[in-house]
Amino acid sequence: MTWLTWRQFRVQALAAAGAVAVLALYIIHLRDSIGAFIDARIVGCAGEACSIARMELRGDYEGQLAVVLGSLLLAPALIGIFWGAPLVARELEERTDRLVWNQSVTRTRWLAVKLAVVGLVAALVTGLLSLALTWSLSRYDALMGQRFAAFNFDTRNVVPIGYALFASVLGTVVGMLTRRTLTAMAITLVAFTALQVLVPAVVRQHLLPPVTQTVIIDADVLSREIGLSLGNDNLFTVHGYTVPGGWALSDGAPVFKADGTRYTGEDDRPCIANISDRAAVKACMVAKHLHFEHTYQPGNRYWTFQWIELALYTALAALLAGFGFVWLRRSR
Amino acid sequence: MTPVIRTTALSKRYRHRLALDDCTVTVPAGRIAGLVGPNGAGKSTLLGLVCGMVAPTSGSIEVLGHRPADSAEQLARVGFVAQDAPVYTRLTVGDHLRLGARLNPRWDAELAERRIRQRGLDPAQKAGSLSGGQRAQLALTVAAAKRGDLLVLDEPVAALDPLARRGFLRDLLEFVDELNVSVVLSSHLLGDLEQVCDHLIVLAGGRVQLAGDVADLLAVHHRITGPAARQPLPPGAQLIHAEQTRGETSMVVRGSGPVPGGAPVDLEDLTLAYLTRATDVGPAAMTGAHR
Repeated sequence: MTWLTWRQFRVQALAAAGAVAVLALYIIHLRDSIGAFIDARIVGCAGEACSIARMELRGDYEGQLAVVLGSLLLAPALIGIFWGAPLVARELEERTDRLVWNQSVTRTRWLAVKLAVVGLVAALVTGLLSLALTWSLSRYDALMGQRFAAFNFDTRNVVPIGYALFASVLGTVVGMLTRRTLTAMAITLVAFTALQVLVPAVVRQHLLPPVTQTVIIDADVLSREIGLSLGNDNLFTVHGYTVPGGWALSDGAPVFKADGTRYTGEDDRPCIANISDRAAVKACMVAKHLHFEHTYQPGNRYWTFQWIELALYTALAALLAGFGFVWLRRSR
Repeated sequence: MTPVIRTTALSKRYRHRLALDDCTVTVPAGRIAGLVGPNGAGKSTLLGLVCGMVAPTSGSIEVLGHRPADSAEQLARVGFVAQDAPVYTRLTVGDHLRLGARLNPRWDAELAERRIRQRGLDPAQKAGSLSGGQRAQLALTVAAAKRGDLLVLDEPVAALDPLARRGFLRDLLEFVDELNVSVVLSSHLLGDLEQVCDHLIVLAGGRVQLAGDVADLLAVHHRITGPAARQPLPPGAQLIHAEQTRGETSMVVRGSGPVPGGAPVDLEDLTLAYLTRATDVGPAAMTGAHR
């Protein structure tokens, strides 16, 4: 059965291997290029030049990174659509189920081998790509942080493997239900995309209860890239605060004075009297002992989140596969 | 000896359609059984049930003493060529033989290769580019080289032209002799089956109309021809179908005892008599009520 599955699948697998090889070469080239930039501009930099260099690094490589991150985000969806959906649907469509189910192999084994072979290749392809990308962007990531940003989290380390496994099973089972390859491809695309949007946007942050801490606005906090804004209600909120390596879940947190009441425009007026003197403004604000509440997922939970999400997608894939086996046995 | 097929009150319902209704048949081992009936009679459903592609809604079926497709061992004992002989269009003829060898423990590689050679099939050719007849031969070869105990063929000649049909069936007879298997094959044309079958099942409207060994069936059916007036039936005989032609009545009757004035009936007439009866039940009853 493995022979037949491989014989039916080998063209796609070889095409994928070719695409992976090309992409891997590109990723390695990107690592060298980024490395050279960092060595020249950022290692040993000082003051303003550092942040300018970082902004340039981000700007220069935005397009190239979009290509590789996009490829890795797309890979599981493509696997679901082009490997998963036709896996059973095409056999049903071309009536070859009638040929293969009458060899001396039970349907359960037939499906198990098909899922295993395609799942394994899918995991291998995305695993290798993710490994290459994680390795080649390690210096870039260390500089930029933001490991929890959706596009970063989804394309590094172990989670892509879970996505690929799930997508391949999803496509297969949808194909089994619809019995039409094209329909199955469309449904797989929509369902998988929806999930890939929903999980980072809504689900991921709840995988572990977040941490909330009170942040005192001192000189250190003010020196970070944060912004204080005065709303129409004449009250201040703080934006852009992050704990290093952490995943900020609250943005626009209300700013409070030491006595626990909101910091208002009137409160701020004395500080901006001398607005051209930035040091004086900062000192004035620090003296007010302002604070706000910050809710976030700490950076040391990164790997926990990776493993939880891998486990989650693998479990979903297993559940779906189980349903597929039951369906196959019942649908006669 | 265990019959190759034994069904009891077997039924299959698809959503709103009863495809097979209360079917009880037994096919003894060693037969070439023909399954005949018009399109939509339930032939494919019955064959699907035999090889386990279809699960019964009610009733029971045993094939070679076991539930169909119950295990890999059971699958190995039944070879099936589905209607239109499906093959993997992207795989070559040779790939199909490798597929058979990989997936079947009792695979007879020598037989398969010899047959492919004899039929002039090129092992390197893609199955998708084979003619209908070649495809049927390939599918039959894969099913036969499994060396099962029962070979099931669903409308094996439907896609072939009349000349090819005759050749295919004659060849099938020789092949079956060599394989030493029981065979069930279906067709909507009795003419296809007449020359090869020694057991017959007539199916219409999802119900079995007639079933048995051909010799037995011919022995108990008779044709009585006489003047137009209604003829009294001999005692113990049962009227299957009566036909009026040019002032003459021709009846096909069933009776196990001697039937005075009864002439032998051939298989084609016999089958037609049962099929006509099955399809005429409605209208005939209505005309009767009218009088």
